Amino acid sequence: MTGAGREPVRAANGRLELDPDRVGRDLVCLVLTVVELLRQLMERQALHRCDQGDVTDEQIERIGTTLMLLDERMDELCAQHGLTRDELNLDLGPLGTLLER
Amino acid sequence: MTQTVDEPGPHQRRGQGGAAATATYVFAVCRDGDPAAVAGLPGQAPGAPVRLLRFGSLEAVVQDVPAAEFGQEALRERLTDRTELERCARAHHAVIAAVAAGAPTVPLPLATLYLGDERVRAALREDERRFHAVLERIAGRVEWGVKVYARRETTGGPGRSATVAPARTPAGAPEGPSAAGAAHAATPGAARSVGRSGRAYLERVRGARQERERRQQAGLDAAEAVDRALRGVAVASRRLRTHDTALTGERGTQLLNAAYLVAEGREREVAEAVEEVRSAPACQGVEVEVTGPWVPYSFVDGGGLDARG
Repeated sequence: MTGAGREPVRAANGRLELDPDRVGRDLVCLVLTVVELLRQLMERQALHRCDQGDVTDEQIERIGTTLMLLDERMDELCAQHGLTRDELNLDLGPLGTLLER
Repeated sequence: MTQTVDEPGPHQRRGQGGAAATATYVFAVCRDGDPAAVAGLPGQAPGAPVRLLRFGSLEAVVQDVPAAEFGQEALRERLTDRTELERCARAHHAVIAAVAAGAPTVPLPLATLYLGDERVRAALREDERRFHAVLERIAGRVEWGVKVYARRETTGGPGRSATVAPARTPAGAPEGPSAAGAAHAATPGAARSVGRSGRAYLERVRGARQERERRQQAGLDAAEAVDRALRGVAVASRRLRTHDTALTGERGTQLLNAAYLVAEGREREVAEAVEEVRSAPACQGVEVEVTGPWVPYSFVDGGGLDARG
């Protein structure tokens, strides 16, 4: 359950180190990954709605601003927990990754 | 078809409690191998010689190893240790490469173990026909590995993009959630002050999505172009699962991980095909890595071959 692209902490003998801090960090990473997934889905939905033309200019502006602020908030949350946005992902094996790279 | 030896590992030792002091480690199966080629190699257990064990019309390349060190638990312990795994894999490969230099050779999976020489003979004889078929296919041929990586580009999220989308700001545009907006207005950084409008943000998201789709498509096209070029030289090809980015590290996403079975002595053609495809317009955004020639590891289990195989 580690984010892709992150080298797990390894002890001298090359084995995986399971320490409580790390487990906590992984949990935060997982939660933020899910939040990021939802945020991206909302963005996609918003673009879709704009394309369909059934929202007013005012609504577009408001949706866009909200999504932009959410995006910035994600940056802040990641920084707080020592994560990068690239780490918010899950490797689904042959299916690829949960979030688009 | 029985595949007794395809499943690597110590479970083949089931039924006995490890009474034997030594087990027999099998590296490969070959035809008319040269005992001198492997005699001096350390193999998996320095001290015991690597030797050829005749079964039917073929030979197995084997070594006596201490049963205690290669028991189920001990092996699992060792093979989950990356350093030890690498050492085992290199020792395994060194023996296989040495035999293969002089005779057609079918590599067996890492850690193929039996309780003794008799068990090896009995198990491998059952698969003798299959081994002959595989030897037939790979004799005089080598494997080339080709990996294609997307060149790493500096990717930024839509919020960080410096390009200002053509934003037509309607008169009296709402300011958005005012409290949050005020909190963020003071955020330093040039990128953040660019295009604070919600519409502009959405346009940047759209642009980034389209750019990503374009890049993905270009990557797939490049991988296809490389595969097509190499298949032209190869007798058979296999697409392997691409490696996770965690392993490829700084190299960027792996787009293609393929193996090609090529007749010996066609190194030039392989190199030319690679050169040609590297300079093709479709492949400008990717890196093509070629390794080989290898013993045809990827072409010994009979599955996943092209029709031409």
